[in-house]
Amino acid sequence: MPTLSFLNPAFLWALPAASLPILIHLLSRQRLPEVRFPTTQFLRQLEPREIRRLRLREILLLILRTLALLLSVLAFARPSLAPRGAVTHAAAAVGILLDDSESMAALDDRARPRMEGAVARALAIADAGRAGDELYLARATRPGEAEIGRARDRVRLRRSIERIEAEPLPARLESSLHSLRLALGRSPLKARELYVISDLQRASLTPEARREITEAAAAGIRVILLPVSEGRTPNHAFTAVDPVTRPGPEGRGLEVRARLVNYADGPSDRLALRVRRGEALVGGGDAALKGGESRWVSMPLEPGAVNDPAIPVVAESDEDALPLDDRWYAVLGAPRRLRVLRIAEPRGAAPAPRFAALALDPSGDGTSGFTVETAGPSALLGLSKSRADVVVLEDVASLSADAEARLKGYVKEGGGLVVALGPHADPEYYTKRLFPGLVDLTLAGPDRSAEGTSFELRARLPGHPILEGLALGVGSPLTQARLSGMMRSRTASARAEVVVQTTGGLPLVVAAPSVAVFLSSFADDWGDLPYSGAFVPLVRGLVSYAARASESEPGSEPRVGERPFARLEAAPSGAVVARGPAGFTSPAAVENEGAAFRAVADAPAMAAGFYTFEAGGKALATVALNPDPVESDLAAVPADSLKADARGPNGAPVLSIDNRSALATRLGDTRRGRELWLPLLVLAGVFLIGEILLGSARVLDR
Amino acid sequence: MSPERARERTRLLDPHFVSKLARLDLKARLVVEGFLTGLHRSPYHGFSVEFAEHRQYMPGDPLRHLDWKVLAKSDRKYLKQYEEETNLRASLLVDTSASMGYGSHGITKLDYARQLAAALAYLMLTQNDAVGMFAFAAGRGEHIPARSTMGHLRPLLVLLDRLQPGGATDFAASLHSLAERLTRRGLVVILSDLLDEPERIAQAIHHFRHRKHEVLVFHILDPMEVSFDFQREAVYVDLESGERVTTRPRELRSDYRQRVSEWRETLRQACIEKRADYVPLTTDQPYDRALLEYLSKRARLL
Repeated sequence: MPTLSFLNPAFLWALPAASLPILIHLLSRQRLPEVRFPTTQFLRQLEPREIRRLRLREILLLILRTLALLLSVLAFARPSLAPRGAVTHAAAAVGILLDDSESMAALDDRARPRMEGAVARALAIADAGRAGDELYLARATRPGEAEIGRARDRVRLRRSIERIEAEPLPARLESSLHSLRLALGRSPLKARELYVISDLQRASLTPEARREITEAAAAGIRVILLPVSEGRTPNHAFTAVDPVTRPGPEGRGLEVRARLVNYADGPSDRLALRVRRGEALVGGGDAALKGGESRWVSMPLEPGAVNDPAIPVVAESDEDALPLDDRWYAVLGAPRRLRVLRIAEPRGAAPAPRFAALALDPSGDGTSGFTVETAGPSALLGLSKSRADVVVLEDVASLSADAEARLKGYVKEGGGLVVALGPHADPEYYTKRLFPGLVDLTLAGPDRSAEGTSFELRARLPGHPILEGLALGVGSPLTQARLSGMMRSRTASARAEVVVQTTGGLPLVVAAPSVAVFLSSFADDWGDLPYSGAFVPLVRGLVSYAARASESEPGSEPRVGERPFARLEAAPSGAVVARGPAGFTSPAAVENEGAAFRAVADAPAMAAGFYTFEAGGKALATVALNPDPVESDLAAVPADSLKADARGPNGAPVLSIDNRSALATRLGDTRRGRELWLPLLVLAGVFLIGEILLGSARVLDR
Repeated sequence: MSPERARERTRLLDPHFVSKLARLDLKARLVVEGFLTGLHRSPYHGFSVEFAEHRQYMPGDPLRHLDWKVLAKSDRKYLKQYEEETNLRASLLVDTSASMGYGSHGITKLDYARQLAAALAYLMLTQNDAVGMFAFAAGRGEHIPARSTMGHLRPLLVLLDRLQPGGATDFAASLHSLAERLTRRGLVVILSDLLDEPERIAQAIHHFRHRKHEVLVFHILDPMEVSFDFQREAVYVDLESGERVTTRPRELRSDYRQRVSEWRETLRQACIEKRADYVPLTTDQPYDRALLEYLSKRARLL
């Protein structure tokens, strides 16, 4: 038995208005003026024939007017027949989780942002609300700002939904699910529904987020997943730009390196890459990536394009599904350089060979991104992070106990260590004293290749950061250099990764956190490697890898959504203000950081771009803010897997609805019922037209 | 006629203007003189038996009164004029029923009838006709017998002045009883709205005709009665029967007008049939039409 309910019952108060025509009619009857007239005989004669006909028409007009008014008022009250599904027959608490993370800006097959469909779904749910419903809206990027709308606030809620756009921020599904689950749990209403409108990105559906869904279902909340995409949409993205410009191979001038990732199962097209400084194109290149590949690509710069420090540039590629991540802001030539402390022991009168130092800083002025200080082992006693970012031990026989303790302390503090062995290194010292706690590696003593042969090197982990600068052909050896000697060794646990090994399986390069070990010599004692093309990238790769721990300490580079900060060399004179794109202006606090200062803006930055810190109208520093690359992988988790997760013994089953028409059907069936306002309005219009026609007919036949 | 005179004359014949004057004798005289100044020839002098004088011919005078002898002798056109000497006896019948008290624009039908009767009486007396008067409504009636002296005007006007609308008319019955009472034949002038069955009115007229009376019927209606030009819905109360009819004028108007014109046509046909003269009047019409009708009737009679 269908029951009728009203979505805008307040309008029912206007129902008595339908009696207005009758009231007006009666009142005007009562107040009819009296006219004295010589005779009424002619009027009387007309009465039977004419007046009754008129009266009939009058009554008909009255009925039509009354019905038209009545139906209009009813239509405004939005009557609906009770839903068939009837889970939420009464008022319900409805939570809407709207994913507005960066990935929702991705374009769908019809080149429209996913956000459009998501907003349309959210509006449909909000519109389907009935009187007494409680509506909760949470955004995935800002879980703390859940908005509550009751029936009377629906217009406001609608407006806030319409304003939501995809933000360059990562989704925090678990937090927003959690706050919605709590809000729904607190509601006194029995029927509870939670609509999750999201692209169900694999990266944002953390185990915590999945657990929230399971717990919501277990608490009797009906969870309805509304995925706006499925499968994996191919997308490539920049995830980093190396702020240090480096000389390109074969002296072709400076080049910028950017890390490009192809989040796709198949290879990418060949992508055109550009480097812009303001509007001017200052460099570029191209790249094609294999499915799932992530690598550094080089973009040669125009000669003279970058000759002073702190130059803001934008790296761009051809746009694809998600245009936001096809652009990366970077400040090139930022004052940070890797400071390398090279420990080498002089052998008699001959100075230690400087191959590694030359590889790192060929011109001796730091323009390569490395400054090298060469010292004896005693220099380790005064070692600190403020002096060096990386320590390179080059063929050192052994260290004093104090130097060794300081070095280990330094690595613990976040310093990097590169150990290169050589004919003078004491395997026992390294195995028993230095390596424990740093790298699980056991040295067994030097090994020499047979006369006339050399060790052939293969990359065991081709994508390892140490090998970033090397062009690795598939199946070809790492280098053509003839390596005749190396230290025989064995890794003791998975913490020590073998990056390069000989064809015979001997490790040559071993990596542990903050520590890289090169099991041959940086000098030409054991072959001609220092003269080969692979030497410079390999040494730089080893040093950069070891320095990475200190480089990429958490929060060292601000992201969109965080407060921008910058390192200042000197104390600013006066108040510091941060300015950024989209009219961003915020005062910044300055903190003392030992040798340098750090300015932190008070407000978080909500757009990618360049943020400049100023004091007294003078620019102090410029930093680049980019969105978190975690959003770039447009791989969706199948909704079915989430449904399977949440199937508990007592919980409500989790539903998923794939398209908007299915959502409309479900909302109609379960929440709104069949709305009747349109037929009512049409009928009212028909009555009104009938009234007008009948009324004008009166004039016509006169 | 100069424009001023023409305006003055028009004014004197306008019922509205006349009704504003206080004294009925003044009204009667003004109406008649205003009427007469407009005529090309003077009707003061009849064309009877006893010669009175000559008067210069004016264009429009009937040639039959031209003095051919004078024309032959002097080549001048003169009319022969005679002392009036008639034996016309006119009876003015004024309806005073309640319905005559209706007036939509400041002047009631009874006012109109009263002034017209006064003017007619004045005109008749100046022509030495004998004038009598009957004012009648249901169950009562007042009668002044006919005389031709000018002094007779006063009692006539006094009676007219006194008339008040009231009561229902059994109009036909009143006419019948009058027809019985008027023994000497003469001119019967009826001033009424004739709100009765046309058949019965026709019979009453026939009764007069049967007694050799000439009958002149002035059918006086208010313009609103003819046009029914009311706008809004209202309760219409019958002045005589008190009957109430609620109606919407706009919807009924065309049918109503049709009815009224049919009714007037029926009355006219009835009068023609009985060889009586029927003059339809509305209270916004000047009096000259009625006076002219009377004069032409009289001219036919003599």
